[in-house]
Amino acid sequence: MNLERFHLPGGCPVWVQRRSGPDLISAKLLIPGGSAADPPGSRGVTQLLAGVLTRGCGPLSGDQLAELVEGRGAGLRCETSEDALIVSLKCASSDSEALLPLLLTLVQTPWLQPDQVTLERDLNLQALQRQREDPFQLAHDQLRHQLYGQGPYGHDPLGVEGELGRLGPGDLAARLPDLGLQGAVLVICGQPPGALKEWLTPLDQPQGPWKTFAPHQNPGPAGEGGERLALVPDETEQLVLMLGASTVPLGAPDALALRLLHCHLGIGMSSRLFVALREEHGLAYDVGVHAPARRGAAPFVFHLSSSADRAGEATTRLLDEWQRLLEEPLTAAELSLAVAKFRGQEALGRQTCSQIADRHALLLSHGLDWDYADGALAKSRQLVPADLLAAARRWLARPALSLCGPATALAAAERSWQRHRLSDPPALATR
Amino acid sequence: MAVATEPSRSRLANGVEVVHLEMAEAPVVCLDFWCKAGSRLEEPEESGLAHFLEHMVFKGSRSLAPGEFDHRVESLGGSSNAATGFDDVHFHVLIPPEGASEALELLLELVLEPRLGDEDFQMERQVVLEELNQSEDQPEEVAFQTLLALACPNHSYGRAILGERSQLEGHQPAAMASFHSRIYQPGNISVALAGPLDQLDLVERIEAGPLAGLATTAATPPPAALALVAGRQQLELPRLEAARILMAWQLPCAHDIDGVMGGDLITTLLAEGRRSRLVTRLREELRLVESIDLDLTVLEAGSLALLEAVCAPAHVAAVEAEIGAIWRQLCDELPGVAELQRAQRLVANGHRFSLESAASVAGLMGSNCLWGRPLPLDAPLLAIEQWTVDRLQEEIVPLLDPERAFTLVALPA
Repeated sequence: MNLERFHLPGGCPVWVQRRSGPDLISAKLLIPGGSAADPPGSRGVTQLLAGVLTRGCGPLSGDQLAELVEGRGAGLRCETSEDALIVSLKCASSDSEALLPLLLTLVQTPWLQPDQVTLERDLNLQALQRQREDPFQLAHDQLRHQLYGQGPYGHDPLGVEGELGRLGPGDLAARLPDLGLQGAVLVICGQPPGALKEWLTPLDQPQGPWKTFAPHQNPGPAGEGGERLALVPDETEQLVLMLGASTVPLGAPDALALRLLHCHLGIGMSSRLFVALREEHGLAYDVGVHAPARRGAAPFVFHLSSSADRAGEATTRLLDEWQRLLEEPLTAAELSLAVAKFRGQEALGRQTCSQIADRHALLLSHGLDWDYADGALAKSRQLVPADLLAAARRWLARPALSLCGPATALAAAERSWQRHRLSDPPALATR
Repeated sequence: MAVATEPSRSRLANGVEVVHLEMAEAPVVCLDFWCKAGSRLEEPEESGLAHFLEHMVFKGSRSLAPGEFDHRVESLGGSSNAATGFDDVHFHVLIPPEGASEALELLLELVLEPRLGDEDFQMERQVVLEELNQSEDQPEEVAFQTLLALACPNHSYGRAILGERSQLEGHQPAAMASFHSRIYQPGNISVALAGPLDQLDLVERIEAGPLAGLATTAATPPPAALALVAGRQQLELPRLEAARILMAWQLPCAHDIDGVMGGDLITTLLAEGRRSRLVTRLREELRLVESIDLDLTVLEAGSLALLEAVCAPAHVAAVEAEIGAIWRQLCDELPGVAELQRAQRLVANGHRFSLESAASVAGLMGSNCLWGRPLPLDAPLLAIEQWTVDRLQEEIVPLLDPERAFTLVALPA
């Protein structure tokens, strides 16, 4: 493996990881400022912008662009996460020359044609509607509201129906100049051609280079304490439970301790939640932890779905597991297993060029170092159980519970919540 | 391509096939155990047993306590999983090379001598029933299961892999043990290894281990050929937000690699990417659908092309009519050469990209080996190149006649 680094004329840092294997490249352009940066009243605009970027740019119409990309059997996607707009390209090395120039062209000179904006917007509205078929999505949306309220992390990247429905080309044109204002980073992994720099210029460049810079480690959005318990009635077989709290950014001092707790609780079939709820009580098929990396107050969530007639028991046991985090330190054996899983996950996440490009682009977009993960691995061996307990007490003391399911199950789960001391925890020390 | 494409093969004296490929740069080794114990080998009273057994395997073996396998493998930085299909089941471990030898021994012990303890069995039954509940809460999954039941009424592919609830509630460990000893036999097993294998002696370990000790038996006979039934049905499903048009066609079986690639090309030409015919017409121009997908599920007794269109209930008739019109156009006019090349490059790159990870390489080798297809990894690439627009129109397009499909329309209740 060898690593190169240079800057594009406007300041965008480019990292290139050459790697043997199949003759292909994976490129990720990460532009901080995702759905969390949607302006008030325009929630969904960043995702809509991302979708429209591939519908015509520079000298190419949407059809010509699709023909060029698909005609070479390549994949080009633009999407939005909470924290970033992401352009991904995957293609055969021999096609890089034809396709890499698209990356900057998309970002600098998209057409934003009204007819294409309408189409993309209507598709997003339909996708939002269809999400309601999934009880996990309903519980998740509700929990997001509990943890983040109307704040930047309070909505799905697809947007909010009432606001998305009113968006048009003008809103996208107004949002476009924001791209790059919080920095950007391009990571390319695989076997790119030697003359890489030449292929990273846009197809046409009316207003000079794209001005940006390497992202800094800025503070991201915070959580907002909302309702501790929220219920979504739905006529399902199962009750879906999501129990979570808003915590810390990926680069924060406590992030590593929380990551090890995540490994302990939710990674693999020997994980605490899997064993305690599935293996010992048969309460669920799917149980685990959802703890994505974020620039701001990342969610840390237990999720479980259990048949409606066992709702009370499932709720109590899930709450017990959370309570345990706040009371009991991990044993030395549990901690060393968590560290082994953390290491294993790191190895598993480095299997393909896309995985490698994704991981490094994410770190760099948070203002962290290229090799931040290696440092975290080394540090993980120095943490002791008391560190994890302290982090849990700092960030997980007042979780919120979101439930989706039939009325009888909701009622039983609500009784379990009210009886549980987690629903009314004593005030804890500083946070 | 700087990657070796010819796997090494060997066969144990009792007939077990072993296939392996060195991938020096991969960070993990994949150990993949394949067995023909898919749901199709269930007798009528064994509904769901193949999948339930896959769960029970992880509940310990003769010498491994329940949970011990997971704990040991995960302590080595590994992870494991399994998947049961209609035709086969596989159990795989991904692990850094240092732990691979130990994990291999554990895996073989676990799969060949499952404990099937009574108490664990009762507990895991609950888990399987929860899995069933969870899938029944997804109306789209309910619709697909209904489609298969209607399209394959006389074939195991029409029966749910998860099984019938009433039968799941009654299964006992003895019946599962008999399913295991009937099917998990040398002639039905292959093992695939991929990753940085050099100096690990994994093949030697297999040759000296419990797999080699199994008595030789005849392989289970090949699956009864699928004969998909055409038809049309409409149903209303609660909790559905948008209508679905689902269609199933029968395409060439897995053994016919040339036919499978033809199927892959035509489904790509029709529905992969914005410039594919169905997407261009129905989503981009007419704007009748939110999405339209056409996927090829490659199966031993006959593959299935499965179409799903998501649209407003009011658009169902128009979408169906347009799908018919697009098919007729393919019959009447040869597709363009550039259109075929687009499909060829998409399918070929999809295949090349899948060779990056040890898990997908092992999966591909293991499945091919299990079903008697000793192919180099680039065999699909060569097959793709053999297709012309004329052959595609003559041999594959007719198979996708909407009159030969089973169509299920699911509407929000």
